[in-house]
Amino acid sequence: MSTTPILQTRNLTRTFKSGSIITPVLKGISLEIARGEWVAIMGRSGAGKSTLLYQMSLLDDPSSGEILIEGREAHALSEKEKAHMRLYKFGFVFQEYALMQELTALENVMVPLLMERYTVEHAREHATSGLDRVGLGKRLNNLPSQLSGGEQQRVSIARAIAEAPEILFADEPTANLDREASSVVMDIFRGLHKDGQTIIMVTHEEEYGKEAQRIVQIDDGRIISDSPTR
Amino acid sequence: MFTPLDIRVGWYLARRQVRRTSIWTTGLIVFVMLLTFLNLVVVTGLLVGIVDGISKLYREQQTGDVVVSSLNTENYIKNSQNLIAFIRDLPQVERISARYVSPGTLEANYKTNTDPNERRNSTGANIFGVDTEAEDAFANLSSFVGEGSYLAPGDYDQVLVGSQLIDRYSFGGDIPGLTPLRDVYPGSKIRVTINGSTREMTVKGILVTTANSPLATGVYMPGTELRQLMGRDDFNVNQIAIRLKDSDEADRFSDLLIKSGVGEVALVQTFDQAIPNGVAEVRNTFEQIGNAISSVGLVVASITMFIVIFINAVTRRKFIGILKGIGISGEAIEVSYMFQSLFYAIIGASIGLLILYGFLVPYFSAHPIVLPISNAIIVAPFTGTMVRVALLAFATIVAGYIPARMIVRKNTLDSILGRN
Repeated sequence: MSTTPILQTRNLTRTFKSGSIITPVLKGISLEIARGEWVAIMGRSGAGKSTLLYQMSLLDDPSSGEILIEGREAHALSEKEKAHMRLYKFGFVFQEYALMQELTALENVMVPLLMERYTVEHAREHATSGLDRVGLGKRLNNLPSQLSGGEQQRVSIARAIAEAPEILFADEPTANLDREASSVVMDIFRGLHKDGQTIIMVTHEEEYGKEAQRIVQIDDGRIISDSPTR
Repeated sequence: MFTPLDIRVGWYLARRQVRRTSIWTTGLIVFVMLLTFLNLVVVTGLLVGIVDGISKLYREQQTGDVVVSSLNTENYIKNSQNLIAFIRDLPQVERISARYVSPGTLEANYKTNTDPNERRNSTGANIFGVDTEAEDAFANLSSFVGEGSYLAPGDYDQVLVGSQLIDRYSFGGDIPGLTPLRDVYPGSKIRVTINGSTREMTVKGILVTTANSPLATGVYMPGTELRQLMGRDDFNVNQIAIRLKDSDEADRFSDLLIKSGVGEVALVQTFDQAIPNGVAEVRNTFEQIGNAISSVGLVVASITMFIVIFINAVTRRKFIGILKGIGISGEAIEVSYMFQSLFYAIIGASIGLLILYGFLVPYFSAHPIVLPISNAIIVAPFTGTMVRVALLAFATIVAGYIPARMIVRKNTLDSILGRN
């Protein structure tokens, strides 16, 4: 088995400019994440944890530093190549579910599969099995507005894992959910991790952060601790 | 550029978005597209139709489908009676009307106008000598008699006068030599002068029709009367108007007459060729004006679609960001908006086509709009209409693409987070 980290950042910085005001949010983050690892990035509000997730998932460009995906420099890729990588290698779970309101649960999961050249029939089969996996096999044809927050987040997870991504990025996946729904989502994450899924999850909830194998604590744009949970 | 995959995913997204958009929103956009389509087709069609209305009047009231006239070098058609007999026997012919035609002058109020310095109340006119029954069968002339009555076969010194020659109907004004006649009613006496020969005649009826009808500036009397006035002692006429059983055969019948040698003794023209030059020029002018107005309509449609798609895309910016975030190509998202625009344009145009060919064209053909200059119809040839449909579709696709592109180009993360 390869020992190359699946994701690596080297001295990553991100600075935002607004007129003459310059705000450094990430101040040199270096991190290695191994394949199959479940990492929770934690910190207080404004610490830079979500910004770090966006850099690692290639949704945003760093001001300086390097990002390597499976040993390959990813920060310098073109927008098209980054989109390609997000489609084929990453899965995303957003805090606010990020579902297309006009599409049913099934169709929301199907869209990225179609972009991956699946036929409509094949995409439907695959999406159905993904939704079955998160316990929504009977809600396939419901629109997001007809689903609870927890169910919408499960659709979002089904979409993210439909094509077995190399890395699953989750940005505060339980922040908008009640305790029960959060517990279901964490159950799913546990199951995915057990199957070898690499998960990088941003959360401010300690209870769920402890579910991960490793917690990276960030404060003021710097890593202040990086330790296993067990 | 757009790949087949972008088009496939764009089509998938567009279908579902259109299907689940509010019926009221869809209805409103389709309604705007429908109005735009009708503006594109009907405005030009109506403007051209005004002129075609004039052409139709000439065809119905004067030229028929094919008209044989005296050559420019001759005063009449030689051996007219033999020619009339030949034409009448042809199987394609439904009916004919042979006419003596001469320019002349009409004068009214000459009895009350005793001041030699006062301008004479006279006007020029085309004077037709006809077989009153044949002409009525041919041009339905009696139906246009708005005042007085139609000519009887034995009428002597009686005329029908076109309404544009009478001042209470005319809007010609004081054109030198064409002063409309004042105070002329059925029973009024007028002087008719042809080639220096003058005769006092009685107005039996007034032909009331639109200004550009050939009847409006014509004077009709029995052929025997006009022959006397013209000093003609033969039976050679100036014009033979022919109505065919199949009016679509005008070109072929005209060729047949020319090949038969008629062209050597007379000028053979289809109704289209016989229409006065000015009418064709007015038609082209109206067509250009119609196209200009349609272009404005097209711009308005494009702006409407731009605004609709822009608002749609702006309000869905976050989801566009998410789609990009999960790896859907920007081009596929743009294609989805282009398909939506195309859908609205096609539905609007399709309803427009149904209204146009199912109602407007047949209705106005049967009930032309009565305007002072002609009875207007809507001219909408299918090929030209489809070109306009294509133009509308193209304009709306572009108008849908630009705002989608503007939103898709925005930073993915800014879109997801709703940052400006």
